[in-house]
Amino acid sequence: MNKDVIVTQHISKTYGKHPLQVFALRDTNLEIKQGDYIAVIGPSGSGKSTLMNLLGCLDKPSTGKIFIDGHDVSTLNEKELARIRREKIGFIFQKYNLIPTLNALENVELSMGFAGVDSQTRTKKAKQLLELVELSKRLTHKPSEMSGGEQQRVAIARALANNPSIILADEPTGNVDSKSGENIMRILEDVNKKGETIIVVTHNMAIAQRAKRVLRIQDGEVQEEHV
Amino acid sequence: MSRSLLTLLGIAIGIMAIISLMALGEGMQQAVTGELSSLSDVIIVSTGGNMFSSFGGGGSTSNGEYFTQRDVADIQRLQGIKQVSTQLAGSGLAEYNGKTTIVSLTGMDIGVMRLQYASQNLEAGGFLTEGEQNEIMIGYGIAHDTFDAPISVGGRIKINGEKFFVSGIFGKQGFGGSSSDTLVLMSSRDFQKLTGQSNISLIYLRVYNVNDAESIAASIQNTINGNHGQKDFATATTMTSILKTVQTIIGILQLVLVAIASIALVVASIGIMNTMLTSVMERTREIGIMKAIGATNLDIMSIFIIEGMLVSSIGGIIGIILGVFGSQALTMILNSFMSMGSSSSLTPIITPMSVVLAVTVSIIVGVLSSLYPAWKAARMSPIEAVRYE
Repeated sequence: MNKDVIVTQHISKTYGKHPLQVFALRDTNLEIKQGDYIAVIGPSGSGKSTLMNLLGCLDKPSTGKIFIDGHDVSTLNEKELARIRREKIGFIFQKYNLIPTLNALENVELSMGFAGVDSQTRTKKAKQLLELVELSKRLTHKPSEMSGGEQQRVAIARALANNPSIILADEPTGNVDSKSGENIMRILEDVNKKGETIIVVTHNMAIAQRAKRVLRIQDGEVQEEHV
Repeated sequence: MSRSLLTLLGIAIGIMAIISLMALGEGMQQAVTGELSSLSDVIIVSTGGNMFSSFGGGGSTSNGEYFTQRDVADIQRLQGIKQVSTQLAGSGLAEYNGKTTIVSLTGMDIGVMRLQYASQNLEAGGFLTEGEQNEIMIGYGIAHDTFDAPISVGGRIKINGEKFFVSGIFGKQGFGGSSSDTLVLMSSRDFQKLTGQSNISLIYLRVYNVNDAESIAASIQNTINGNHGQKDFATATTMTSILKTVQTIIGILQLVLVAIASIALVVASIGIMNTMLTSVMERTREIGIMKAIGATNLDIMSIFIIEGMLVSSIGGIIGIILGVFGSQALTMILNSFMSMGSSSSLTPIITPMSVVLAVTVSIIVGVLSSLYPAWKAARMSPIEAVRYE
């Protein structure tokens, strides 16, 4: 049996004060195991992004606890949270979010730089990862010189750079054409087959169907769909 | 990009100001030191307080009293003294071109005269010649302003009825403390013959060993004060102590110059801060991304601090280069103003010390002024930042 990489206990996220309080996420309990492939679906504003921000340690829950690889992240300070983000989590955004002034190689190296990896190892690893996403010929291209699909594949390489336990992808195919989208999903699924935990937020039911588990969020409540 | 260039220019100008003003100050320091240290074996004994009122001025005494022959004899008896000479002070009636006026007269040995006025510009003519009689040197004011008609070299002035030839005219005095403009200078012998007096206003002596100068000066002061029964009748001043005083004054001047230049640097550092704050705003999204992929607050801070440091240190280096040229230009302008007064012209001196200082200061300015923007960047919440468009 695979171990739990993410466990949430009664987490909720609220905005505003009592009479005007808004629940973005209500009393959510999740157990996500190593190697899981999870799709998160739901209408806009349902709380998908809130959940992703909490799981990615970009935000803290209002109540409840989150354990990532056994660490209770609600007790961690800013520096330790940065370390969790760096070592345990790889982010993929809908809008790629590459650094516009850096080329593909440098973008992939960046998070390894924050982790303190020496520059030789960094470059070697970044080249391997870009090869994995089939971008060996785009090493020195700036994001503005690449197509959306290519940029997103650079972002995938960047997310994998520090060997995270979890990949959090927020609508990774939302801004690319269907062929590139298919390519991106195939790469993510390959990574998943190698044991990586993948959580994908999507509007696309076809993509959601391919996941092993589907979580539907509605008005801040998370329900497991049985497929 | 152009914003960073302008910021860089601000720093460059600030550093340029510091470098060129420091070079100027150092040049002044060295010029004065060089001039005075050739006279380091000299002691000047004057009556009353500060000797600056009499040195180079022509022997005005503050308390109206003079040294006696006994004082001079006592000094000559001390050990380690090479040569003693005196400067006599008095006044006489001078007549030229039909106008008569009272002038103050100074008599001194010709050898001493050459030494004491060595740094003074001559407008025309030369120093008195040893053995010649009835020759005088006059100040610029006497030659041009005192009488109705200007006096030139070879001109004849009657002093107390006696005819004197003008052998030399001093140039117009610059900013120097006491003026030589009203000087009428003659040999001691002529002075005594003319006035029948020997009012010694100043005793001028040289010692064998420069290292003894201070102790000899002290014992001279004691001896003469004893002779006159007053505690502070005489002041014996060594060139070394004058040198120190002058150096202190120039040091203060240098400090003031640098302080003024620093204002430019403060303005420049505000410029850096402004640029960095704008840059932080523009890169909000980038900061969020970096935090999301694992940058700590410290990582973010150091990115901006390094950037600020880079801008300011490049600006500093450009400023040093500009400062080298700036100091040349500045001294050229100053020299053209002072060329009437002083024989020695200024040369700017850029010391390694001032270069090191400039580089250090510019780096410190860079770090300090990017601290606040960097802290603002680090404090950003990653979700807010990533959402920011």
